[in-house]
Amino acid sequence: MKTGKPVNVETPASDADKPEAWDAMGRPVTQRKSEVRLGREVQARIGQQLRAMYDEVVKEGVPQHISDLVRRLSEQDDGAA
Amino acid sequence: MKLDPAIRDQVLATVPSLRAFAISLCGHIDRADDLVQETLLRALTHIDSFEPGTNMPAWLFTILRNLFRSEYRKRRREVEDAEGRYAETLKSHPEQTGRVEFSEFRAALAKLPSDQREALILVGASGFSYEEAAAICGCAVGTIKSRVNRARTRLADLLSIDSVDDFGPDRATRAVLAGSGRN
Repeated sequence: MKTGKPVNVETPASDADKPEAWDAMGRPVTQRKSEVRLGREVQARIGQQLRAMYDEVVKEGVPQHISDLVRRLSEQDDGAA
Repeated sequence: MKLDPAIRDQVLATVPSLRAFAISLCGHIDRADDLVQETLLRALTHIDSFEPGTNMPAWLFTILRNLFRSEYRKRRREVEDAEGRYAETLKSHPEQTGRVEFSEFRAALAKLPSDQREALILVGASGFSYEEAAAICGCAVGTIKSRVNRARTRLADLLSIDSVDDFGPDRATRAVLAGSGRN
């Protein structure tokens, strides 16, 4: 379990102990994290990250050399294989 | 006999997802593109064994997966070395991947056993059903379900996710700055 690390390590040391934000009850947001356990939400985040990573490649579409290869092979006679 | 243009278009339509799957398996893009090319060569020269009207993506993924597995067995040592170097590159120079936001996630994925990794990707990213994934991997549906579950648990563990907020670019940056990033 986590025990309330600073949200951003790039914060200068002098400000490191100051919370970045507060919730509705006036508590620093960094203190809320420790309560969340591995569960459905974490699994959903893993799923999101996995799909985002995958879709980044999918968005690249079909590279020219691959599309050329497919067109060339699809023009070939079966016997050539 | 030339290939039916409708079949050719189905093949082309599957290529983007096939590449994403190959990259997830191999960990690097050059090897993945070679694998995709070998798959397409194999598929198009054996197109007679594809039954029109059946699942083209599943057919192509099966061929790619089998090629990857047979080569992986042959070159196990080499592949593991490559994966190790890849993980090291991510850790020391995340900016070199050009995909900084996923660097930690990719490194964790690379540490999964390959049967768990492929099951998770097929179901969680490629959008195949458990049944389709089982057919692609040549195993029982229950085996796929169990591999996916183990992969998810292991990923959460590797990424040290103990909070929903503790998962994202900030954490990736901190993990790199901290070296091991695990505590």
